[in-house]
Amino acid sequence: MNCSNQKKRSFNIEAFKHKVVVDPNYADKTWRLLEHAIDEIYNKNASGLSFEELYRNAYNMVLHKYGEKLYTGLVSTMTSHLVTMSRCIENAHGEMFLEELNSKWADHNKALQMIRDILMYMDRSYVHGSQKTPVHELGLNLWRDNVIYVTGIQSRLQNIVLQLIHKERTGQIINQGLMRNIIKMLSDLGPSVYQVNFERPFLEASGDFYSIESREFIECCDCGDYLQKAERRLNEEIDRVSHYLDAKSEVKITNVVEKEMIANHMTRLVHMEDSGLVNMIIDDKYEDLKRFYNLFHRVPNGLSTIREVMMSYSRETGMQLVTDPEKLKDPVEFVQCLLNKKDKYDKIITLAFNNDKSFQNALNSSFEFFINRNPRSPEFISLFVDDKLRKGLKGVGEDDVEVVLDKVMMMFRFLHEKDVFEKYYKQHLAKRLLSGKDVSDDAERSLILKLKTECGYQFTSKLEGMFTDMKTSQDTNDGFYLKHGADLGDGPSLVVQVLTTGSWPTQPSATCNLPAELTSLCDKFRSYYLGTHSGRRLSWQTNMGTADIKANFGTGQKHELTVSTYQMCVLMLFNNAERLTYKELEQATEIPSLDLKRCLQSMACVKGKNVLKKEPMSKDIGEDDVFSVNDKFSSKFFKVRIGTVVAQKETEPEKHETRQRVEEDRKPQIEAAIVRIMKARRVLDHNNVITEVIKQLQPRFLANPSEIKKRIESLIERDFLERDGSDRKLYQYLA
Amino acid sequence: MKKEDTVKLISAEGFEFVIDKNAAMVSQTIRNMLTSPGGFAETEHREVTFPEISTTILEKICQYFYWSLQYARLGVQIVQIALSAL
Repeated sequence: MNCSNQKKRSFNIEAFKHKVVVDPNYADKTWRLLEHAIDEIYNKNASGLSFEELYRNAYNMVLHKYGEKLYTGLVSTMTSHLVTMSRCIENAHGEMFLEELNSKWADHNKALQMIRDILMYMDRSYVHGSQKTPVHELGLNLWRDNVIYVTGIQSRLQNIVLQLIHKERTGQIINQGLMRNIIKMLSDLGPSVYQVNFERPFLEASGDFYSIESREFIECCDCGDYLQKAERRLNEEIDRVSHYLDAKSEVKITNVVEKEMIANHMTRLVHMEDSGLVNMIIDDKYEDLKRFYNLFHRVPNGLSTIREVMMSYSRETGMQLVTDPEKLKDPVEFVQCLLNKKDKYDKIITLAFNNDKSFQNALNSSFEFFINRNPRSPEFISLFVDDKLRKGLKGVGEDDVEVVLDKVMMMFRFLHEKDVFEKYYKQHLAKRLLSGKDVSDDAERSLILKLKTECGYQFTSKLEGMFTDMKTSQDTNDGFYLKHGADLGDGPSLVVQVLTTGSWPTQPSATCNLPAELTSLCDKFRSYYLGTHSGRRLSWQTNMGTADIKANFGTGQKHELTVSTYQMCVLMLFNNAERLTYKELEQATEIPSLDLKRCLQSMACVKGKNVLKKEPMSKDIGEDDVFSVNDKFSSKFFKVRIGTVVAQKETEPEKHETRQRVEEDRKPQIEAAIVRIMKARRVLDHNNVITEVIKQLQPRFLANPSEIKKRIESLIERDFLERDGSDRKLYQYLA
Repeated sequence: MKKEDTVKLISAEGFEFVIDKNAAMVSQTIRNMLTSPGGFAETEHREVTFPEISTTILEKICQYFYWSLQYARLGVQIVQIALSAL
């Protein structure tokens, strides 16, 4: 701009002068315009209106401080329209009531939005400034107060809605879309409206409905049916919520159903005769049990009820099994029954009870309870293993073997008296190893490994020693025959197992005169062995040996007999004599009488194995009985086994003896535990000593407090501990 | 530009500004006008008259719409730099 010769003009910035409003009726005129527009909107006649004009007018009103007039005007106009609407709704009959309500609500919403758009400026400035309710919310509140809360409408609405729901519950179809809109309207009006006008009465009515229905059902249905019905109702309600109720109601209504249909009848369902929980368990009804679990899961104390019943039932049947004398006759059968029972319950828990850990634990504790009620359980389990390892595993695949052994281990874990099991297992293992039959080495070793993992090295060290001895013996034998094979020529062949005394179950070695043919052979072996291992002592265990003899009978029959060493000695005597009395046999063999009687019985009195004839033909062996070879002996097989030493259930006196030995073995273990504890604690009172000892020895056996007390006394006598001078209940460790 | 994508803004003097719909929507008020459920005249004919807004002002407003769209995605700093350039 060229301003060199012109006078400088200063710019004044003047305030923007708006059209001055001089019209006193301006506010009224504007308001009437807007009022008219609102009326048109409610009459669905808005197409002729100009948004811009209305907006501008509202804007101007607020700008000129007439916001309040606008607001109050809005309130009164809207209210009057709503009153008209509510009269329309009230006049609607029956079915049309809800339809009318729904359509009027839709109209109001649409109008409200339009009004809000026009009056947006008022919303943003006047309303904001004076803390009034914004237009949209105002619209909802006015609707609520002028339509919903009208006495005629409020109760009618509630009743109709509840009626419809009741109709649907009895199987009729209702208009779900309409319901959804109505319910949505209530929740749009605010949570309190929804709750007061709908939810609370709904829950109450539902409660009554289900209470009646459940009482009906439980009288006429059996347990499985009832549960199915309950499940169906539950699912129905969940569907109902998803179709036309507010999601927040889902939990509340399901609680109502759960309470009325399940919680109130819990005990009755579980204990229902002929169809309750116990029957389902017996019949393996997995579907029903699964339903039981799922439904009771939702209810407080539901699962614990089921668990209680299952536990007590399993305990009861377990006790029956354990005290049934029939079942106890066959140990293998007994253990198999136990395994079957465990399998059954495991399957139920996996398939129906969702593998719930608490149920597993409950089952385990009840099994533990009744297995230990039978004092012979450790022995029987060992016999079961023995049976399986001896013959049961031929033809069974490797994985199946593992499965069986794992199951055995599981039973083992339940035992309280694991040391008793150890004793029997050792005995049975010795018999298995020495019987000369093919032992499934892999399976044996696998089980030993499992025991080692479970109980530690101590438990299995001796068992492993037994295996080592067998191996070493084989090498020794090979060495013997390598060296002396040529000398022996056609004489009897000898297979020796050299057993380390500490590892094998000790048995008192008995006297026995071996036939001449064998004594020289035995002596040769002895000198060979002591030649390579000096400083050792060998003693022949004649009660554990077996012999294979070739026999020629009078009829020309030839058989190979497998007999025990004792039986061999007896039979060899008949090479030199036709008839021998019992007394003569006893003198010649020097076998202890009980054993001699037993081996004679098995050779003379057992059908199919009677290689000897006895006079008189009685079952018992008398001192003056005469024995001779049974020339008429016949058998289908060439090889005949007679009275091999097989692991069996112990007789009463044997059982007694074993139990005594176990008790004896426990004494030093208890003492060692006491000393260990006292050494660590230095001073400890009586009750704590007992508790600690029991805890330490728990992996092996359950220590008896009175026995512990006796051991403490003994230790005090031997100056390992002393009683505290002032307090007789305290013990002190003496270094 | 298709007819559906445009809106016409008319000033007090009668000047007609045809602008893109997205640009017009920058203004909340115009947006409400055009999307209101009721059958207002504006929605029908896609024309908004402003009897109290002069042409020059309306022109600047339209420019603002376009500028706003252009820089809507960018950060605040760039907006500030652009402001000074305007």
